[in-house]
Amino acid sequence: MNEQRLGARAFQASVECPRESDVLEAVAFGRWPDHCAELVTHVATCAVCADLVEVARALHDDRESLCRRDPPAAGIVWWRATIRARADAARTATQPISVLQAIAGASIMGAGAGLVTIAWRSMHWVDRLDEVAVTLASRRADLEAASTLATMHGLPILLALAAGLVLAPLALYFTLADD
Amino acid sequence: MRDVTLSALDRLGADAAVNEDTFQMDEDAFRLFYERTARPVWAYLSRMSGDARLADDLLQEAYYRFLRANVAHESDAHRRNYLFRIAANLVKDLRRRPQVFPAPAGADGEPAEHADPQSADVANGAVRRLDLARSMARLKPRERDLLWLAYAQGSSHKEIAETLGLKTASIKLLLFRARRRLAGLLRGGGR
Repeated sequence: MNEQRLGARAFQASVECPRESDVLEAVAFGRWPDHCAELVTHVATCAVCADLVEVARALHDDRESLCRRDPPAAGIVWWRATIRARADAARTATQPISVLQAIAGASIMGAGAGLVTIAWRSMHWVDRLDEVAVTLASRRADLEAASTLATMHGLPILLALAAGLVLAPLALYFTLADD
Repeated sequence: MRDVTLSALDRLGADAAVNEDTFQMDEDAFRLFYERTARPVWAYLSRMSGDARLADDLLQEAYYRFLRANVAHESDAHRRNYLFRIAANLVKDLRRRPQVFPAPAGADGEPAEHADPQSADVANGAVRRLDLARSMARLKPRERDLLWLAYAQGSSHKEIAETLGLKTASIKLLLFRARRRLAGLLRGGGR
């Protein structure tokens, strides 16, 4: 147990030095090496602090040099940020419109597929026309009434359905995409 | 180039005014904060990316993300650390991107006219910075971040841990290893 503690202490001593903060402060405030003779003596005998001086001086000088360059003006950065915020807001706002357009497109395709299915079934229905003719003959009176209704209202209903299928997505688009 | 009408400019101005409300910070407060923080953040981005122009773009992106985050900060130090965290993440993202061309080791964006050949001090300084750039390029990205934040930026271990997403307890050892490595490289002239 004691050996472990001693090992840990030795490791700690090799990793850190209590004078690190003094050395760092001297470098950061430009006192190194002319105004801290006592620290210079310490650094000459301390590997941890010697590395620290080497690295801290290089990085400190580098930062000072880089900080001499003027960054872009605050007004420009602010202006660009506001313009970009607007663009991002517009993009976010158009996302639901795209979703609605996709739904409208899918609805049109679904309706089209439904119509094709109905047309296909009606072709099979033609094959069984004889049976149907017999049935129809037996229900002639009912059919006369139905055909009168279809003649009167069938075409307008079909036209209304077709117009609805074509115009609904367009109306949706023009209503929502006012930008 | 697209023609811009007066009404379009008016609209742009109005939109910009409207968008000022989208940021928690107003323009005056932003200017003050920017004046205090832009140089160190730019220096960090420039050294980490090795490209001054890229650092300009990254700086713009960092402040944009900072403004968009709309986070309430308890102190100015907290606000500054948050900005550095954004900058560190941007650098991390940059490293993940495939490089079209390798970042030049000494491309810190220092204009050539800064280096006065008459002055031995300036020349020595330029050589030292080049050595540092070369040495830093040989370190791991995390080591570079750690060393810069600790010794150029003067951040505490806690601040470094928050910025880089590491445990505070691990900073001391990581910093020691990175420091020893960089010191060795610097003594060898960055080679």
